[in-house]
Amino acid sequence: MTEYHRPTSRADALTALAEGGARARPLVGGTDLLVGLRHHHDVADVLVDLKGVTDLPEPIVVTDDGVRIGPTYTMGELVSHPVIGEWYPALVEAALTVGSVAIRNRASLVGNSCNASPAADTAPPLLVHGARVTISSQDGDRTASLDEFFLGPRRTLCGPGELVTRLDLPRPAPGSASAFRRLTRRRGVDLATVSVAAGVGPDGGLVVGMGAVGPRPLRTAVPGPVDLTDDASLDRALDELLGVATPITDVRGSREYRLATLRVLTKRAVLAAADRRDPREMAS
Amino acid sequence: MTTAPERAIEQRDALGEPSDPYPQGQVGRPVLRYGGGDRTSGAQRFVADLRFPGSLQVALVTVPVGCADVLGIDTTAARAVPGVVDVVTAADLPSPMPRFGVSHTDRPVLADGRVNYHGEPVAAVVAKTLDAAQAAARAVRVDHRELPGVYTLDDALAPGAHRVQEPSLRPGHALADTNVLEEAHYAWGDLEAEEARTEVVVEETYTFPMVTHFPIEPGGTVAVPTDSGGLDVYSPVQHPYLLQRTLASVLGLPLNQVRVFAPDPGGGFGGKQNPKLEPLLAFLALRTRRTCRLVLSLEETFQSMRRAGCRIAARTGFTADGALTFHHVDADFLIGAYADVAPRVMGKGSYVAAGPYRIPGVRIDARAVMTNTTPSTAFRGFGSPQVSWALESQLDAGARRLGLDGLEIRRRNLVAKGEAFVRGESAAAADGEWHQSLEKAAELIGWGTPLPPGRGRGIAVGIKPGATSGLSQSLVRLLADGSAIVYAGTSDMGQGARTLWQQIVADELGAPLDQVSVVSGDTGTVPFDLQTSASRSTVFMGSAVLEACRDVRQRVLALYAESTGVPPEELEERPGVLVTPEGELPLPEAARTALGSLRGEFIGQGTRRLRGKGKHPLGGDAAFYEFNATAIEVEVDRETGELLLTRHVTVSDVGTELNPLQVVSQDEGAAIMGLGHSQMEQLLLDEHGRIRNLGALDYRIPTFKDVPVELVSAAVENHDGPGPYGSKGISEGALLCTAGALGAAVADAAGVVIRDLPLTPERVWAAIQAAEAAQ
Repeated sequence: MTEYHRPTSRADALTALAEGGARARPLVGGTDLLVGLRHHHDVADVLVDLKGVTDLPEPIVVTDDGVRIGPTYTMGELVSHPVIGEWYPALVEAALTVGSVAIRNRASLVGNSCNASPAADTAPPLLVHGARVTISSQDGDRTASLDEFFLGPRRTLCGPGELVTRLDLPRPAPGSASAFRRLTRRRGVDLATVSVAAGVGPDGGLVVGMGAVGPRPLRTAVPGPVDLTDDASLDRALDELLGVATPITDVRGSREYRLATLRVLTKRAVLAAADRRDPREMAS
Repeated sequence: MTTAPERAIEQRDALGEPSDPYPQGQVGRPVLRYGGGDRTSGAQRFVADLRFPGSLQVALVTVPVGCADVLGIDTTAARAVPGVVDVVTAADLPSPMPRFGVSHTDRPVLADGRVNYHGEPVAAVVAKTLDAAQAAARAVRVDHRELPGVYTLDDALAPGAHRVQEPSLRPGHALADTNVLEEAHYAWGDLEAEEARTEVVVEETYTFPMVTHFPIEPGGTVAVPTDSGGLDVYSPVQHPYLLQRTLASVLGLPLNQVRVFAPDPGGGFGGKQNPKLEPLLAFLALRTRRTCRLVLSLEETFQSMRRAGCRIAARTGFTADGALTFHHVDADFLIGAYADVAPRVMGKGSYVAAGPYRIPGVRIDARAVMTNTTPSTAFRGFGSPQVSWALESQLDAGARRLGLDGLEIRRRNLVAKGEAFVRGESAAAADGEWHQSLEKAAELIGWGTPLPPGRGRGIAVGIKPGATSGLSQSLVRLLADGSAIVYAGTSDMGQGARTLWQQIVADELGAPLDQVSVVSGDTGTVPFDLQTSASRSTVFMGSAVLEACRDVRQRVLALYAESTGVPPEELEERPGVLVTPEGELPLPEAARTALGSLRGEFIGQGTRRLRGKGKHPLGGDAAFYEFNATAIEVEVDRETGELLLTRHVTVSDVGTELNPLQVVSQDEGAAIMGLGHSQMEQLLLDEHGRIRNLGALDYRIPTFKDVPVELVSAAVENHDGPGPYGSKGISEGALLCTAGALGAAVADAAGVVIRDLPLTPERVWAAIQAAEAAQ
């Protein structure tokens, strides 16, 4: 039998999680958790529903320095937020590929990040945009970059009794831009065979977030400038960026195919991001 | 033997059908779907929505491999789960284990000492709640020893291979000691002589994947014991009367003690035709004396139904002009652990392995090869999509060698109406103007017009034999106020059959469309119908309903004469009216007059029977053929292998569109379903015979986002079918040759020929990589 808690305060939520230990799960949209429970891939004795908590960080706060996202902010809200669309276009492109409209209206961005699927669609752009998370427990708060947060398949820094209460995205530097590309087996709702987000900095430096090509979402970067009009220099940058990818062969695709298309998609994402940069803001 | 058109005329004459179609207004109109509102709004109640207070829930116990000996089953822990009422294993069922099946009586009610495919139940738990049943099912300990099961054609055909079926189930059969369940052979002409005059020979091997039906409603069964010792069984089956007969036979009950209620299936596609788990539920209900309910998960549905995979080696000859000279086919159908109807799929599919073409020399050798996999069954197309994939690809290969295009080579080989495409003892001739469909598809795709780089076009045709025997019976009641009730046993699983009965009755009896209701899905009240399969219902049940309407009109005429004193010879009945010496009377008015103050009603009966032919390899001549021409325009991403279908045209030879809206919806549905096995669908097995992509997450079917940018459905109407007003069945045509058209389009766009379905992005990419490496 699973206990269901619907605390109204952050403190009560953390208490319930601490008491539940390793078999307690926080619940927001449930788009991963409930599927896992139903198919017995996941076992939970305690569900702690965060949707009734009144003193968690606001779903979204925009400041001059960036955006703070709380645990209850949904993918559906994210894709229609004008500032997110302007500052983090790759994130909106990625979020629009998550499930379907109905799923996006339930799914939480933070919750999906905590699920830590190697193929999570929003992970690559969050990595590109330098997301940090705040992990809270009864003992206090700590922060980590998302790159540090992802440990392996379905494993994160967030341990028993802990809860990610906040995700911070710094405001991108002027003259930078991002784009997202993904390969699937069909055009409708599907899991990524390969996904990639690319960011081009004001100095022409590149940062890439990759999904479904390793045990966890991966992030790499090369400093600028990279001459994107020169095939050889772009190829060299791609070699450097993509060397960490270690895809496996599974029902969605072979290792060989993933490696080849990762390169194709990364190139496309880099060029698309470069096209998005505002020429007036680019470093000369 | 009569030619197809002669047969069509004879059949129409036998029904007394005037040559002029469309008696009045409703037939031929895009009337909205009968029950469509409830289906759209979610108000329709599927079997899982039916409430049975106090019913027990059933969960199945399986072992995690495809082939195993069951050494022992420990139910102690399961029985201790609170709420568990019973845990049933083979030991609790009659001995010998009752078996059933439509072509071979080989399928046990529960696995009996041997698991033959992954998902085959070895025990069933009956409990007061679903949670308890599922928890107890997980607590059943099955001691089993995995056997070296056969999961591929090569495994099954290897010398010394594990035998899927106990040889004792086929005593004395020449193939009993092999995994070949049945063979089919068709041949005509002199292949050697034909080859001697051949310019180009194409020899290739093609594969078609195992795919599953994926009805959106997984389905299930509820068995209710009756006070008289019988059973009421609720199951969304396509063949309620077959289920009734099977249950009666397995249980030793008379037919009147087994009443099958068949709530509308939420999609069937052939997968819900034949009994599967219903006999088990029946035994559970009789044993517990309680209502037992099992609603399947999608995963369990995958383990219950699929299409036969196929490997086809073809050798095909052409003259320098592109005329086919010979076609030699070896087709191995990868069927499952039990026969179901798979041998017939193999036999009927391979019967048309030479397609709708004029080929003087043909040899077809086909086998149904058993493997330790989900039993394959009927699936839209019934063996034709597999053979069509190979043949259409062969035609395009020949065309490329000869410098012809895909349209031209088909023009040169397609048979004319009345011309035989199957020769020899069991010949068959074209029953439609099939060239018209080909030309229309070519026109609608813009064949021959320039294309941008990276795009290509393909065109293909396909045929499928309709039903070769059949029996549909119907009752029509014309009530005193002019409204009417039709009793027709066709299962309405989304094809919209009831709408047609409504239209026919409205026209034939002059009743307002919205005052015609249809009763179906109950063997206790609705007369016999053999099956809802093979796109037969329009032709068979449609004719029975039509005849029942005529019967009603004749009864109205007779009683009108009696009650008014007008001599019957001065009266005439026509669709919707009674013609009297004073002029035409609307039929409802004539009926009211005839019935008088006592009221009452008229009951008409109609039967449409097609007897088979004993010595015909299909059991008889097909009542009609479905013919389709499909043309596809595709854009290929050479770097990722992704396909974008920019235009997809399907043209079916439909006889007469009784309801154009439904013709289009069936045609589009079939086309999109055809894209499934052409582009993305395949069941993948691991080395233990388990489905690796068991479930919706990794078994992908087309969504609306996968529908081609433009999908065009058109029809050719020549009023030349054997059904009411010249109609034919039309529900399968548009998926017969989807793969061939797409394969040809990809070859045209990307310069690579792929012979294995589905054409996944990875497969297209790999082919392009290989071609570039070879340059």
